Amino acid sequence: MKTLWSNIYDWVDERVELGGLVEYMGKKYVPVNRHSIWYYFGGVSLFLFIIQVVTGILLLLYYKSGEQLAFESIQFIMSKVQFGWLIRSIHSWTANLFILTAMIHMFSVFFAKAYRKPREVTWFTGMLMFFLLLGFGFSGYLLPWNELAFFATKVGTDIAGAVPVVGKPMMVFLRGGEDVTGATLSRFFGFHVAVLPGIFTVLLSIHLLLVQRQGMSELISHEQIPPAERKTMPFFPNFLLRDLLFWLVVLNLLAILAVFFPWELGKKADAFASAPSGIKPEWYFLFMFQTLKYIPGKILFFDGEVLGILLFGLGGLLWLMVPFWDRKSSRGETNRFINYIGIFVVFYILVLTIVGWIL
Amino acid sequence: MKKTARMLAGMMILLFCALGQAFTEDKCLTCHETVGGKAVDLFKQDIHHAKGVSCAGCHGGNAQSDDMEKAMDKKAGFIGVPKGDEISRACAKCHGNAEQMKKLGSALPTTQYANLQMSVHGKLATNGKEHIVQCITCHNAHGVVSVKNPSSPVYPLNIVKTCTKCHADAAFMRTYNPSLPVDQLDKYRTSVHGTRNAKGDFKVAQCASCHGSHNILSAKDTKSSVYPGNIPSTCAHCHSNADYMKEYKIPTDQFDKFSKSVHGVALLQKHDNGAPACNSCHGNHAATPPGIESVSKVCGSCHALNADLFSASPHKKAFDDRKLPECETCHGNHEIIVATNKLLGVTSEAVCSRCHNESLNVKGFAAAKSMRGLIDSLETQEHRAIALIDEAEQKGMEISEAKYKLRDAHQARLESRTMVHSFNEAHFREVAAKGLVVSATVSQEATQALDEYVFRRVGLGLATLVITVLAASLYVFIRRLERRQALGGK
Amino acid sequence: MKSEFTPTGQPDSDRRDFLKYILGGGLLAWLAAVLYPVMAYLKPPKQGEVEVTSVKAGKASAIEKDSGVIVRFGSKPVILVRNAAGEFRAFSATCTHLDCTVQYRKDMGLIWCACHNGRYDLNGRNVAGPPPRPLDEYRVVVQGDEISISKKV
Repeated sequence: MKTLWSNIYDWVDERVELGGLVEYMGKKYVPVNRHSIWYYFGGVSLFLFIIQVVTGILLLLYYKSGEQLAFESIQFIMSKVQFGWLIRSIHSWTANLFILTAMIHMFSVFFAKAYRKPREVTWFTGMLMFFLLLGFGFSGYLLPWNELAFFATKVGTDIAGAVPVVGKPMMVFLRGGEDVTGATLSRFFGFHVAVLPGIFTVLLSIHLLLVQRQGMSELISHEQIPPAERKTMPFFPNFLLRDLLFWLVVLNLLAILAVFFPWELGKKADAFASAPSGIKPEWYFLFMFQTLKYIPGKILFFDGEVLGILLFGLGGLLWLMVPFWDRKSSRGETNRFINYIGIFVVFYILVLTIVGWIL
Repeated sequence: MKKTARMLAGMMILLFCALGQAFTEDKCLTCHETVGGKAVDLFKQDIHHAKGVSCAGCHGGNAQSDDMEKAMDKKAGFIGVPKGDEISRACAKCHGNAEQMKKLGSALPTTQYANLQMSVHGKLATNGKEHIVQCITCHNAHGVVSVKNPSSPVYPLNIVKTCTKCHADAAFMRTYNPSLPVDQLDKYRTSVHGTRNAKGDFKVAQCASCHGSHNILSAKDTKSSVYPGNIPSTCAHCHSNADYMKEYKIPTDQFDKFSKSVHGVALLQKHDNGAPACNSCHGNHAATPPGIESVSKVCGSCHALNADLFSASPHKKAFDDRKLPECETCHGNHEIIVATNKLLGVTSEAVCSRCHNESLNVKGFAAAKSMRGLIDSLETQEHRAIALIDEAEQKGMEISEAKYKLRDAHQARLESRTMVHSFNEAHFREVAAKGLVVSATVSQEATQALDEYVFRRVGLGLATLVITVLAASLYVFIRRLERRQALGGK
Repeated sequence: MKSEFTPTGQPDSDRRDFLKYILGGGLLAWLAAVLYPVMAYLKPPKQGEVEVTSVKAGKASAIEKDSGVIVRFGSKPVILVRNAAGEFRAFSATCTHLDCTVQYRKDMGLIWCACHNGRYDLNGRNVAGPPPRPLDEYRVVVQGDEISISKKV
């Protein structure tokens, strides 16, 4: 076995000169402290992305886009295709877990202020990927063309349409028309399997390249310890093997979820039926949806809903731009204020998601 | 002293008599008698006259006065010859007043006019001025006698003539309701009720018995006694009264039986007006419904498919030869219960065994046995398939397609029940076979789904085992690696 | 993915070999456990394709005048009738008597139920036999040559 591997290595090395690369990668290390656990979440997100791509491609082989066949093709996959139930449920569960781990990854980066110089672009690509991720979730949700998805899309695109000036054309663009129809389904399918993956892959490549080039960011507190006394472990092979172990457990978790909590299909969408009562979006949109519910109809002379949407937009923008307005972290100083903001946001999202779920 | 007392008493009596005479003497009658006229002659036989009611009782005015002007004075309440609704109002002055009637010593009800006004007859006549019918239309004006009096137009034997005065007049009825038939009397005379009534039996049903007398409502009105849902109880009025029906020597349990039957439950409990009431099979006025030869052949007018199959079957000739009614023989007449599988076959509960057994009518015996066997297995197979589908559904497996196929099994079972009436085993088997095949297919698909359910869990267990082994060994490998790194230094 | 960076040192060779076997074997088993479902998934199932269900009921030109066809609408059957004039009507094909599936009878010019001879006219109204209620009507829209059936009128 060893000789086979070394033979392959030598063959490639003769053509591409791996030596320098291998040496460089060998120098990459990961800080070891009580916060090291958070370092895993980037990798798990990557793993889940790979799962999505693989299961997504497999689903593509049997899914039929278009009003009359979308629902039935999912039914077909769930009942007639061998292990179709497994692939589909894993794809749906992974989507949710992916968004969860991405959020954890984002928040841990935020609290560690790893977005500070020199990693601003890493942060931007990461945040953009996160927004794309929400787009993945929203577009993919419609593809089974079931009742819940139909109405969720209706409500969601309605909210998008409420943005002043650009809202209406944006809504028509998203829907492929004035209403949610088969045209919407076609568009969302195109977004979900071509447009978003394309852009996402580009961003991901930049993101990973930067992480490899710049190495793992260290906590500001960690940086203040003299280099000789900092505890670290090599990325290759130690951290990587640990990563793989974690990924293995996550894979098992997905299999268990797929078997015991198969993803539902529900009823086929019917444009002429009335919306089922208590309709609400998927959990990752819930906190925004719930917030909009609580905003009064009119604030001064502004429409409450529009104000809410704009506020969220503004919040998102500020969040995105944090490397620029958090000057202290760039200088290497602890910034408690960022921590407070972060804690507030986490709590807000948690509480409103729970409230939205229960009510 | 005694002599004076007796004289006084005698004078008092005379005085009272005179006074009494003055009070009770009907001066109108006295005068008009001299004039003459039918009204006067009739009135002399009138029950009102006998009870002491004067002409003024209806016409108003002063019956005590000799003077024509005073007697017929409007201020005294004289209304002359009443026209239109004035007539009925005049009757209702007493007949609608309970206290008044009690004072006159009558126990008659007092709701007649109120009822009439709410009835069909209380509607506006074509002249737009009055009710269609007034009291006198049926009761006469001056010769009114008790309903128990054989010369009364509303005596049971005479009612028919009274009603048909209008209701058999096509030209007249056309102005009110062209769709109402006018041949009820002819039809009625063909029925048992009609023939007995003609012979003088005043106990049998005539027009008023079913339709009511004052509160006659259209058959479409839910309050009418001849509204489909109410007809059974209307008939039961007499036909369930054992005492009343004693001399006729026919059973009086039809209503009870009917209420328990499929038709009774449908009509009386589920209010399905498509279900038959008594008249649907026995006829409205005639002896049987139009176009039906006899009540034993009436079932086919709704249950056409079964009747057709039966007519083409060997039972038709067999039943006709033995003068057995076609459907009633097996299904009963009033107490028709839901036909279950038990009705078919060769067990003691089955009707077939009444004529067919191992030594008698053997071909039919075999057919009955076989058909019962088939339909029983059809039912069991269908239930089995349903149970399996339910189980698979409960377990969250996707089997909507198989479930949809179940409809065909249900259909086959119903079709074969109808096909029984052909009494042809080959035809029956053909229909039942379809259901058996479908049930088998569905059961198989459901079982596959259940097997898949188990397979998934077993598969998961194995996969978890593999992953655990791999993860554990990976973990050990990592520890060992790091130990060596620590020892060797980096 | 498996690390090629074997470090220096003199560990216990027996334990090392045993672990390597378990690790290698575990890895192979894991690969099999992942690849088996994927391979099975890629194999086309017996029923090659998804069946068209109801909502789009096929081509208008495929249905003759004065004929009827049963179409599946989710879990319920719907009867699509084309009358002699060429107009389309659609009704629930579940008989309101005892749930049998009705059919179009060209010889009778109406919708008929084989179980107990129930009859419905081309407006779905129950006109003869035991059915107590009319058939629910469905909406038919013909766009171009495509027939689309949707829930009740």
